[in-house]
Amino acid sequence: MPLDTSTYSLALLRVDGRRWNELRRLHAQIRTQAAADGSSYLEMGHTKVMCVLTGPAEQNQSQRRGQTSGGGGSARDTASINVNVMIAGFSSVDRKKRGRNDKRTQELEITIAKTFSSIVHTHLFPHSSISISLHVLSSDGSLLAALLNAATLALIDAGIPMSDYIAACTAGSTSSHSASDDSADPLLDLNTQEEQELPYLTVATLGSSDRIAVLNCESRLQVSRLEGMLVVGVDGCKQVKQILDRVIREKGVQMIREGAVDRSDTMVMDLDE
Amino acid sequence: MPRDAEPSLSERTFVTKALAEGLRVDNRKFDQCRPVSLTFGDEFGVADVSFGKTRVLARTSAEVTVPYADRPFDGVFTITSELSPMVAPSIEPNRPTETEVLLSRLLEKTVRRSGALDTESLCLIAGQKCWSVRVDLHVLNHDGNILDAACLAVIASLRHFKRPETTLDGEVLTVYTPAEREPVPLSWLHSPFCVTFSFYGEEGDIVLMDPTWLEEQLRVSSCTFSLNRHGEICQVSKLGGSAVDAPLFIQCAQTALSKSKEYTELLERKLAEDAKSRDKGGLMAELTAENDR
Repeated sequence: MPLDTSTYSLALLRVDGRRWNELRRLHAQIRTQAAADGSSYLEMGHTKVMCVLTGPAEQNQSQRRGQTSGGGGSARDTASINVNVMIAGFSSVDRKKRGRNDKRTQELEITIAKTFSSIVHTHLFPHSSISISLHVLSSDGSLLAALLNAATLALIDAGIPMSDYIAACTAGSTSSHSASDDSADPLLDLNTQEEQELPYLTVATLGSSDRIAVLNCESRLQVSRLEGMLVVGVDGCKQVKQILDRVIREKGVQMIREGAVDRSDTMVMDLDE
Repeated sequence: MPRDAEPSLSERTFVTKALAEGLRVDNRKFDQCRPVSLTFGDEFGVADVSFGKTRVLARTSAEVTVPYADRPFDGVFTITSELSPMVAPSIEPNRPTETEVLLSRLLEKTVRRSGALDTESLCLIAGQKCWSVRVDLHVLNHDGNILDAACLAVIASLRHFKRPETTLDGEVLTVYTPAEREPVPLSWLHSPFCVTFSFYGEEGDIVLMDPTWLEEQLRVSSCTFSLNRHGEICQVSKLGGSAVDAPLFIQCAQTALSKSKEYTELLERKLAEDAKSRDKGGLMAELTAENDR
């Protein structure tokens, strides 16, 4: 793999022509699958994810026995969240066969399940389960972030009460892991090529607050760089939250216009904007 | 599938209330760890780590194998961790639980991906022969914080391990027994250590280090940092749980760095002690015919 990101310092433009603090095009849709309780489709650049959500529904036998609670409260008094991530064979450049027990995918599933167990008001649905199934159609960096955003949208589409959005994105740094590199810029929303060459982390925040729900870093970086990357990441999450919010609102307006939902008197939303 | 007994409601209230008042059940300070003990076995590469009642054993072994076809210049390095039903009744053999998946992923990221062991030095003949280094991790008792204990045990075991000396003469590869030639330690690049923080309270603003099993069951979220003593982060994982304020992570990273330096110091001291106790005075002392009377 040629070191293409090394040209960054020449024009301060990244391999895909973005500046350091620019997100890739984030396109999202909700209610894409008519049969599902909640569904969404999300693109972050070339990373494309589809989310289908079923529930809250009665637990089946195996879920009832093997339930793991996401912390807080007895497991039976809350809804369990089951996540299934399917990475399509054609999603990345080299076709890789991933087994059912791939630990990396399992870690993604556990992360997503644990995140939403503490955000979704699971105590409202005792003895039930919410299954989130995520399909990765195309993978080009920021995979965990895209999965979290897609799952948030699907949960909102299904009308499951939760305390806030989970908005996620990645942040990186143009430095290598040597400490001497002072001129390094932090980067926002990395693609695969950048992820392979530069240190990066995935951040997910609770809504537009500064509170971090997920922080995941798998590459070597200096401790002193963490703060800068975290600030950029949290800022990126706020932008992502705005975009997700807009998608939801637009869909809501559209549904009222089409008469799919009745307009209530308490609604303050201005439909004309 | 059997499940762990959850702490009762009164235990839960007692522990969380006490934490809110600044007290831990075993009267430690919030950032105080349990006494760490690290002992090496008679063989090279056996390390036994205990944090209070938590006890983990790691054993390193090496054998000569054929390298993978796609990486002819690299040796093989694997870490296998298995939690047996001995640890907790909820664990069934041959069915990896969530804890086990996370543990093996953590070790993979901390030790293997960060390049702590120089795998190229394990290559003997490119594409034909290489060393396969394998670390087997056994959790003997689980009283909280197995991640940190497991990581320390794996690193200690690898640092302590010595593989047989080899020479290559033309096409002939000779592996010497320890009696013929002194075994050599692995080519080691840096030692990362895991430090886990547990968060408590509604806002997740109470931070505990080295929790016991009871405390671990009651935490709202946790975050594991892996760092070496040079201040390089190899891995950070806060996988879900309640949200925690961002500035808290910066503080935690600094604490983790000083803790990692402590572990490094402990490991170096123990390794030096072990080397000293093994040193019988060199070859001359071994070859004398004199007996102790």
